[in-house]
Amino acid sequence: MIVRLAWRSIWRNRRRTLITIISIGFGLACTVFFIAIAEGVYAQFIDQVVRMQAGHITLESPRYRSGPAVDIWFEAPESLRSQIERLPQVERTKLIILGQGIARSASGDVSVTLMGIEPSVELHTSPVVRHMVEGRYLNNQDGPWVVIGSGLAKRLKLGVGKKMVITTNDIAGNLVDELCRVRGIFKTGSVEIDGYFIQAPIAFARRLFDLPEEGATQLGVVLKTPQAQEAVLQKTRTMVSQQDIAVLPWQEVIPEIASYIKLDRGSNLIFQAILVFLILFTIFNTILMSVLERQREFAVVLALGTNPLLLRLQILMESVYLGLIGCALGLVVGGLAAWAVQVWGIDLSSLLEKGFTISGFAVSTKMHARVTIGLLLGTGGLVFAATLILSLIPMHRATRLSIVDQLR
Amino acid sequence: MTNIVSLQKVTKDYGEGDALTHALRGVDLMVEAGEFTAMAGPSGSGKSTLLNIIGGLDRPTAGRVEVDGREINTLSKTDLSLLRRDRIGFIFQSYNLIPVLTALENAEYVLMLQGIPNAERRERVREVLKEVGLEGLENRYPRQLSGGQQQRVAIARAIVSEPALVLADEPTANVDSDTGKSLLDLMRRLNETKGVTFFFSTHEEAVMKRARRLLQIRDGVIFNDQAH
Repeated sequence: MIVRLAWRSIWRNRRRTLITIISIGFGLACTVFFIAIAEGVYAQFIDQVVRMQAGHITLESPRYRSGPAVDIWFEAPESLRSQIERLPQVERTKLIILGQGIARSASGDVSVTLMGIEPSVELHTSPVVRHMVEGRYLNNQDGPWVVIGSGLAKRLKLGVGKKMVITTNDIAGNLVDELCRVRGIFKTGSVEIDGYFIQAPIAFARRLFDLPEEGATQLGVVLKTPQAQEAVLQKTRTMVSQQDIAVLPWQEVIPEIASYIKLDRGSNLIFQAILVFLILFTIFNTILMSVLERQREFAVVLALGTNPLLLRLQILMESVYLGLIGCALGLVVGGLAAWAVQVWGIDLSSLLEKGFTISGFAVSTKMHARVTIGLLLGTGGLVFAATLILSLIPMHRATRLSIVDQLR
Repeated sequence: MTNIVSLQKVTKDYGEGDALTHALRGVDLMVEAGEFTAMAGPSGSGKSTLLNIIGGLDRPTAGRVEVDGREINTLSKTDLSLLRRDRIGFIFQSYNLIPVLTALENAEYVLMLQGIPNAERRERVREVLKEVGLEGLENRYPRQLSGGQQQRVAIARAIVSEPALVLADEPTANVDSDTGKSLLDLMRRLNETKGVTFFFSTHEEAVMKRARRLLQIRDGVIFNDQAH
């Protein structure tokens, strides 16, 4: 009967109950939607960055981070790559050589970052492939050919098929230069990448820097899902425990991106907390109001001999109903909206014509949300649990009343 | 006969200092099982205070109160609550039914508190509702019933658990005189046929005349106690 009484009680003031349920639902839906969007953007951005750079997990010389330069290279044996690639969570591995140099043409020179890559691998991983605007991407048969950013092409007045010279120091410190031709031009939207970044086949980079076969500055591990990172990190560390190789998560390789996301997530959290606080305030207000206006009724049932615990249970049940219906509504609406953005995305290119970058990396202007069961259960559970906690004060007040005063 | 209510030198004070009010001043009273007692007095005479103390809703400032053989002063809040649930029925002036429960559900509320199985309590409640003249109205909500009908539901709620004592605070005050008379007839009949002990407050002449025992109270003192 208490369950029935609680259910009927919440519908005494139908309008107030509906407003409360809609408030809970709307607030939770917004929370779910915005968190899903933020998480989707982070995931999309991280994926893009790690695929362009050295993967979710990077193997390199333990000394490389203290002074990143091509002369701090390491040998990445094929057997190690095969061993890592056999891990079920691994999508592929990629060898890269990162070095600095000067790109020159008849029109001038620009300081650049040169990345030696395996074209057949990058074809499936590098976002550069999707951003080719002229010519084509590299393939394994390409010799001294490079792809350059549109900004660099403009500054050096280069087009597809044109010659340029890259001058750098090899691993022994000798000044070297190599002639190469432009195979294609990309435009990612990042001033830094488009203006100062060159990709070349790894064989060409090895020749330029005088690195031996299997020599590279990094071996990147690209995962099928980022959630597998910790497990693969541990397994890879075990594999190379006897070797002079450091195994790092992407957060240590690109710390500025990790810090940015942490900071952004923190500020989002504050926004979400304010939203949740507003929802909870509404719920608290409703429950308290509904208890205060029924003081006389509670006095009657207490006079009839109702155990105060039973009365508290009734008020708790009312909160459970409000919380359950509101949370279900919020999760369905917010979850569906976020799911739609996950599937179809929101294209902001018309609003962000020039795109935007974080730490020099372009962020896609087509946003995709990321809805997970954990997100739905976490936010829904939080609001529901908070609803129950908030009902404690009204519950307490309902049973602390003076029966005689209320019945007078 | 057994004493259902026994009061010895019961006082009740409210406030303190200059605002001190003596609501009851050394009341002595015995109510035996099966009595049909009315307590009359003007507003502020101490009627409700006395009912509240007998009903275990309030505690006296001094004196001894025994209800159904249990001394109220010594009982904990929980024990008082159990005493009210199991041994005392309440009828309030303004019915005080739970608006979201039907007549049947309101009447069975106390039985539910007592843990009586669903089927048994439904059967008992239907029987009692029939007895108070509400057959066919079991599934109506209080708002769908007249004042008299609501008070009948309240009477059914008060007697369905077969308590030792039914306390009624001006049970006919909120209804017209005809309805009040029929409610009084009902209570009197329940008293005579089922032996339910009624103790009620009133300020209506007609009600006083129907009581078998009339107590008159003024300024917290019972100054007249006569059997009819």
